Amino acid sequence: MPDSTPAILVLGLGNDILTDDAVGLHVVRTVREHLAREPDIEVKATTEMGLALLDEIAGRESVVLVDAVQTGQAAPGHVHELGPDDLAKVLTTSPHFLGVGETITLGMMLGLPMPQHVRIFAIEVKDPFTLGTQMTPAVEQAVGAAAARVVVRARELASAVGRAGAVAG
Amino acid sequence: MDDAAKQAFNQGNLRANAAYAAAKRNLTIDPVTRLEGHGKIDIYLDNQGDVERAYFQVPELRGFEVFSLGRPAEDMPQITSRICGVCPTAHHMAATKALDALYQIEPTPAGRKIRELVYHTFMLEDHALHVFILGGPDFIVGPEAPPAERNIVGVIGKVGIDAGKRVIATRRRLRELIAYFGGKVVHPVLGQPGGVSKALKKEDLPKFQELAQDAVGFAEWTLQVFRQIVLGNPEYVKLITSDAYTHKTCYMGMVDEQNRVSFYDGMLRVVDCEGREVCKFAPKDYRQYIAEHVEPWSYMKFTFLKQRGWQEFVEGPQTGIYAVGPLARLNAADGMATPRAQAAYAQFFQTLGGRPVHHTLANHWARVIEMLQAAERIVELTNDPEITSPEVRRIPTATPAEGMGVVEAPRGTLFHHYQTDSRGLITMANMVVATGNNAARIAMSVEKAAKGLIKGGHVSAGLLNKIEMAFRAYDPCLGCATHTLPGHTPLMVSIFDHHHLLLRELSQE
Repeated sequence: MPDSTPAILVLGLGNDILTDDAVGLHVVRTVREHLAREPDIEVKATTEMGLALLDEIAGRESVVLVDAVQTGQAAPGHVHELGPDDLAKVLTTSPHFLGVGETITLGMMLGLPMPQHVRIFAIEVKDPFTLGTQMTPAVEQAVGAAAARVVVRARELASAVGRAGAVAG
Repeated sequence: MDDAAKQAFNQGNLRANAAYAAAKRNLTIDPVTRLEGHGKIDIYLDNQGDVERAYFQVPELRGFEVFSLGRPAEDMPQITSRICGVCPTAHHMAATKALDALYQIEPTPAGRKIRELVYHTFMLEDHALHVFILGGPDFIVGPEAPPAERNIVGVIGKVGIDAGKRVIATRRRLRELIAYFGGKVVHPVLGQPGGVSKALKKEDLPKFQELAQDAVGFAEWTLQVFRQIVLGNPEYVKLITSDAYTHKTCYMGMVDEQNRVSFYDGMLRVVDCEGREVCKFAPKDYRQYIAEHVEPWSYMKFTFLKQRGWQEFVEGPQTGIYAVGPLARLNAADGMATPRAQAAYAQFFQTLGGRPVHHTLANHWARVIEMLQAAERIVELTNDPEITSPEVRRIPTATPAEGMGVVEAPRGTLFHHYQTDSRGLITMANMVVATGNNAARIAMSVEKAAKGLIKGGHVSAGLLNKIEMAFRAYDPCLGCATHTLPGHTPLMVSIFDHHHLLLRELSQE
């Protein structure tokens, strides 16, 4: 990994033609505007899945993931903030994110440098399964506030770069 | 179904839903939210509390046709590849072939070879993903192992870290080849009617030839691992051949002119449960041979062989139910199209008692044999002098109207069907995914598992696991979002009494 790789990665996951499943992509688009001048933070969006996550997070000190989730136990637009081990408890039947902890363990087994801190912002959605490019209203309206929270967390992690006992992840 | 029947069915459903909603308040139900995008299994009990019928419902992707209406047909290869993060290249290729048919044009020879090169690379990569991450955890780690170990981490624990690195690295290189031609694996810009968008430059060929050789080595090694760990273990062999996961249905797969397994193009061939050819047809004639049955009291559609008629969920020599996928392809063909794969094919049938093989779990082994053919084909194509030709596209001139494109996706036969106006804008778009073809047989597998584990209204422990094993062997497509991490099969099981009222819901991720 080149030394110039920013230590913090903010990664939005989603599918832009599956209605609310695009929310992660929309949130990071807003986040990118606010963090454009931060040298330690890189903001990306991806529609890739599975093992591609491993490639993205390898070599980073901290990672912030943003994605859609459907727990059915919160109102659409609600933002869950989690560590990688919280997911199994909160997300009973969503197929998203269940492998983040597993991915990190895999990366470590393969001798890849895995992030010290991982935060996940999982936005509760109403409909991630109908084809469409327009999100449902409650989810659309949540983008701004979710982006603001991601920006705060990313800046916290950036300010702790290289320091021991950084922000808990 | 016709309008009158549809109305009756819908009214019946409305009444049933109202009755359920009224009764639900009085029943104890596990508090699970019903969510879309999951494998949904409905089990109906008779008045003795035994299983009368069980169904597996493929969650349908909603709004596909509406979303496609009015769009240029030439966008469909990109649109459909974005729907499915697991099989993007399969949809891309089926859509591209539908465009060929729509514009009444064949790809140039080099264009076709590049398509085949990309497609076989995708098949190899996707099958490898399944073997090591989806199916592997059951067989390489073991179905009795604790769930926490039944994942890729457990697989690597079993095969070793170097082996794990080899799997990850090989997959990455294969995806790079696909990206070379298509830009991005999930949103490829490869397929055009009449060919492809990018040629293979001569100076780039050597690295792909090297990858091709490594690919064959990788596939052979995977077969070896499978033989050692799976076939070398009598418990696993017992499980594979157990009656619980065995069904005597027909099998459908794509074949070349010599009736050998073909992934990219060919005729569709169906054999019955004794291996005799039932029919063989051009994909565009699909509707003359395959029909759909809608089951009352559910929203499920089941495909079956038209000439046999719908006979309920029965197996045997007269059944109209057929399966697709790796096992079905090997059963429906007389052999593989490449030498190492053919040797593995012969050994497969010799070990399992001849063709056709009815053990659903043998899909995992068939998948590894297909990996070999895919890899060998990549070698053939990268050694073909025409692969670096710049003539990769011819421009269509015909006015578009209708076209169908069919490929063998990793999970089975995939159909794309479009109609357009004279400007090439979509007026109708329909697709049948592999799992749609398997729905009836999956329902039978689920029912068999359920019948063994639900008696007198009492549900045995392990019901979910047993059903999940059968279900996972078909590797069903669940229409999930593109960034779903593989390895998890969200399953929702609902158990209804003989009044069709919900008794219990069980779920797992």
